[in-house]
Amino acid sequence: MAQISSIVRLSFRDYSHEWRMSGCFILALASVLAPMMILFGLKFGIVSTMLDQLIENPTNREIKPVGSGRYNDAWIDRFRERADVEFIIPKTRALAATIQLKSDTANRILSTELLATAKGDPLLSRSSSFPEGYDQVILSQSAAKKLNVDLGDEIDGSLARQFQGKRERVHLPIKVIDIADVGVTSRNVAFVNLDLLIASELFKDGRAVKDLSWGGDSEASTERIYPSFRLYARSIYDVEKLVNDLEKEGAKIKANVAEIATVQSIDQNLTVIFWIIACVGAIGFSFSLGASLWANVDRKRKELSVLRLVGFKSGRIVMFPVLQSFYTAILGWLLAVLVYLGFEHLINFFLAPRLNLDRALCFLLTEHFLWALGLTVVVAIFAAILGGARAAGIEPSEGLREI
Amino acid sequence: MTIVYRLKNVVKERLIDGVGFRLMVPDIQISAKENIALIGHSGCGKSTLLDILALISKPDSLDQMSLHPVDGDSHDVAKLWEQDKQSMLSQIRKQHIGYVLQSGGLLPYLTVRENIELPRKLLNLPDDDSIKSISRVLGIDRQLDKLPGLLSAGERQRASFARALSHRPSILIADEPTAALDPITAQKIMAVVMEVIRGLNITLITASHDWAGVYKMELRTLKQESEVIEDGNVYQSRFCD
Repeated sequence: MAQISSIVRLSFRDYSHEWRMSGCFILALASVLAPMMILFGLKFGIVSTMLDQLIENPTNREIKPVGSGRYNDAWIDRFRERADVEFIIPKTRALAATIQLKSDTANRILSTELLATAKGDPLLSRSSSFPEGYDQVILSQSAAKKLNVDLGDEIDGSLARQFQGKRERVHLPIKVIDIADVGVTSRNVAFVNLDLLIASELFKDGRAVKDLSWGGDSEASTERIYPSFRLYARSIYDVEKLVNDLEKEGAKIKANVAEIATVQSIDQNLTVIFWIIACVGAIGFSFSLGASLWANVDRKRKELSVLRLVGFKSGRIVMFPVLQSFYTAILGWLLAVLVYLGFEHLINFFLAPRLNLDRALCFLLTEHFLWALGLTVVVAIFAAILGGARAAGIEPSEGLREI
Repeated sequence: MTIVYRLKNVVKERLIDGVGFRLMVPDIQISAKENIALIGHSGCGKSTLLDILALISKPDSLDQMSLHPVDGDSHDVAKLWEQDKQSMLSQIRKQHIGYVLQSGGLLPYLTVRENIELPRKLLNLPDDDSIKSISRVLGIDRQLDKLPGLLSAGERQRASFARALSHRPSILIADEPTAALDPITAQKIMAVVMEVIRGLNITLITASHDWAGVYKMELRTLKQESEVIEDGNVYQSRFCD
């Protein structure tokens, strides 16, 4: 025990006594590690988020039926349950899915496409609330602009039909609960609850809608059939199987297969490239660190021999360079982290705004810092054990007579 | 009289492809309170023999080597080397032997005091005034808190002697301790050292040249003879009683 605590003390005394040399080792370590961390920070920040955007982009994951089919609620539910389906919602006939919107602040009546939506719709992933009942709507950006309305405004929606030879029009007040981002669609779209979409179709078919006191023929009791749906796969990697399964059930499907293939290959190639850079970087870093620490142990042979002469055991002697390498690893890593954080700050605060990015260009997770620390310490100690074992393995008398 | 060292047919070679140096010790006995000087020209194997006696160099072959410190048990060193009991060897070294290197061998990152304390710390010896008294005797009591780099060559060697003696070993081995010093300083230092070892009953084994003559009466000199053998390939040096 006395020997171990003495070795810890002596190794630290030597390390601080030779502060210039120790500083050089720390600097050498940090100057290899810090650029590697910045590289990974950028990979993690900009490249990963761009790639995620491509992979996550709902339009890439959308699966659209071509033409019209016959899908009932049970069929829709069956697909909704699947793990590879993120979202599915039925569509009604396109002709019946339009509504005329009018606001007090604009003098035109806007004919708008009705799309059913619900919680979890990837197209409206930024919305926090979704239309409930018949009187709520999320407007697309272009529709909101043309109607000159804002969040919370009330607008008038109206539907028209020819019924028993007469032209009829019904009105209902609708509240704008959200406005979709520009990127969602460039068309005039009103995202509404599926109930309103169904009501619109019933009304145009000349049927009555009891909830809204719209007159007409009594509602058909047969089960509801939808001609189409909106489906989003969980990820672009699920699209292919989903398309196959849907086609097996007789649906004609359109999906962005070519684009998906491109995104997939970009994803895979970038991952390969970064793994290559990571491996080459880690190997290079290990050798550079290992070589410098190993050389340092060689330099210390005489002092290690003196320690053995004084009576330290060989096994304890190995601890001396191992501990010093450990100090270098910890301090070098700390310096590299500081340098990295400085650069991260510079990049994110000065470069990111110029590129009009709303997210960090460069960042690392805590676990990445710990990985870097782990690698550094393991390599440092490994190199020191090799060098230390060599120093401890030779006769003490050998090292003593060196110049 | 106690025999401290007994060596029989101890051989250490430094041969590369059959060419080089061979140290032979046919038979040596060193008894307690005896002081030994190895006299000989450079390269005759003085340091090599001292390293063997200090247990930091393993002989290539040996019939017998035993060590019996006056204040400890008898050890069959030949057997310990054969069984590669390094820990035991360093334990004996730590406890019974003090070694002074030609170049001092002080650790540059420790103060003189800490250097001198180190052997005592390793043996868990108590902090008493022994550091102070040995430093005073050797004339370095005012340098104790300096780093070795700030000391003169003579002061460094004095500190080196203090470190070798601080844990009260019964054997002091010194390899040309004054070679780097001027003759007057060398004689001053050795005068003090001789006084100390007389007072502490220490066996001194040293390699030396110039000043040895001064203490001729107190030092027994081992005979050294060398020859070139094996077609001029091997320079063989023998030390005898």
